[in-house]
Amino acid sequence: MNQSEKFVIETNGLGKSFADAQALQNVNLQVPRHSIFGFLGPNGAGKTTLMKILLGLARPTVGTGSIFGYDIVTESVAIRERVGYLPQQPHFIDHMTARENLFFTARFFFSGPQSKIRARCDEMLELVGLTEKADRPIKGFSGGEKQRLGIAQAQVNYPDLLILDEPASALDPLGRQAVLDVMARLRKHTTIFFSTHILDDVQRVSDSVAILNRGKLVTSGPIEQILNSKEGAVYNVALKGNSRGLGERLAELPWVVRTTMAPHNGTSIWQVSVSDEAAAEKDLLRYLLADPAVTVAEFNRKKYELEEVFMEIVKGDENVR
Amino acid sequence: MSANLELQRLNERKGLRGFANLYQKESQAWWGTRRWWINALLWTGLLCGLAAIMLFAPNDEVNNADEAEIMQAGGLAAYVLSLGLSVFFEFGGPMLAIGTIVLTQDLIIGEKQSGLAEWLLSKPVTRRAYVLSKVVANAPPLLLLLVGLPSALVYGMLSLRIHALYPLAPFLTAVGIIAMHTLFYLTMTLMLGIIFSNRGPILGIALGSILGGGILGGFIKPLFYVTPWMLPKVAWLTATGQAISNGLGPASLVATTLWIAAFVFVALIKFEKTEF
Repeated sequence: MNQSEKFVIETNGLGKSFADAQALQNVNLQVPRHSIFGFLGPNGAGKTTLMKILLGLARPTVGTGSIFGYDIVTESVAIRERVGYLPQQPHFIDHMTARENLFFTARFFFSGPQSKIRARCDEMLELVGLTEKADRPIKGFSGGEKQRLGIAQAQVNYPDLLILDEPASALDPLGRQAVLDVMARLRKHTTIFFSTHILDDVQRVSDSVAILNRGKLVTSGPIEQILNSKEGAVYNVALKGNSRGLGERLAELPWVVRTTMAPHNGTSIWQVSVSDEAAAEKDLLRYLLADPAVTVAEFNRKKYELEEVFMEIVKGDENVR
Repeated sequence: MSANLELQRLNERKGLRGFANLYQKESQAWWGTRRWWINALLWTGLLCGLAAIMLFAPNDEVNNADEAEIMQAGGLAAYVLSLGLSVFFEFGGPMLAIGTIVLTQDLIIGEKQSGLAEWLLSKPVTRRAYVLSKVVANAPPLLLLLVGLPSALVYGMLSLRIHALYPLAPFLTAVGIIAMHTLFYLTMTLMLGIIFSNRGPILGIALGSILGGGILGGFIKPLFYVTPWMLPKVAWLTATGQAISNGLGPASLVATTLWIAAFVFVALIKFEKTEF
């Protein structure tokens, strides 16, 4: 498998500057085929700008990029032939109904037969739960309904890549869940590249993520790798009994980096940061159990949430500046 | 995603990818909504109503005209026809241009501002197809409903007034001249919609051309030869069979044609570079 078969999207040193701001700097991104790739970043980080550059709606100032091996600047129409895009705020042709809008979208890709195109539109309306409202003009649609129609139109052409800019932002919890379910179902057929602020959603469906901050790609890779990429591991331990002096004793172990303790309802909650995960796994619990002054009530390795990692990476990046 | 094999992929010319669908959408905005009959009624009522007043109702213009003017026109009947044609072409031409600007000022800028243009261009659509579909799909309804329909009725009224068919060739030539005048403002408005991000400059420049062009040309006469500013008067003179001085008609017609081509060209070039 060559590079363009392995990665659907690839950018090299991509940058975009406007008159008064550097929107993107040296972005090197690789989105694996058939991945659900979460694209994260605070407001104004440059996520939408990058998506627009990928679709040929804006041009990079420096650098190159490709989708399916096609150049994003010179072969944009060929790329858009195989892409479905949901903008952050989807807009449609107001005087048309939802069904007419979908049919109109489909006709950018298909010439016929008309009955099959209509069947495809019906299928998409069904998928996003808009069948009953299919013949109403768009004018009366709520933000959430427009968002769902946006998801339907993005898929009408059987895209090899879906680019979704905040796909669940205007949806209620049920709508959000439905979108995540659709994304999960599409995983085996297509690659999904989506931006969002809802980190919980990313952790639920994504297999890879990238974090963009102030136009720079801060980190990128498989989600498990990013969640475990923090230096060393941290163990949570709940102890009963007299744990006085335990911190000093733990600090003497060569692989213990730091300990913290907080009392809680008669127990002491310890967090033990270690540098050697294997050694800690083998000996930490044994060491604690051997201490006659305490009883181990709980012992587990701390699991990081994406939100924690995200906040740490973004804040860390800002401190470096 | 593997496509359904029963659906045929669109096979369109590369440079105009998306044109047919966009053309249909633009046409539907006219013919698939009440827009067409509202405009047909409005412009026919306005222009034909004014012409009818001049042609059929006794009015002050005719009552107050001096003998010399009536004699110069070739008699009272010819004078009345000339007045009717003057209202239709000389007054109607700029009115139609204003109507064209009002009707088309939002075609591109509205879609740019609402995000619709961004969405359309995220599909396999070339920028060229987007711009050309606006010109090609909006010109026919504008020319048919704003120029053609009122012209046909006015021609009928003229013939009714003289109890014979009014000479067709000069009248059609005059209608063609007004059509060029209208196309000038259509292409100019579309181009301005691409260049600017809000409606102020579009309306300012386009309306300024209509309302201020005559004044400016009065100071710098050669401007009349390289602009469409005199076309409504040229149309009136042509329809009434009067002489047009110093090749003004052909010169301004050629200039207007070149302006139209230039506006489309600039629109295409500028839109290729537009970012969303």
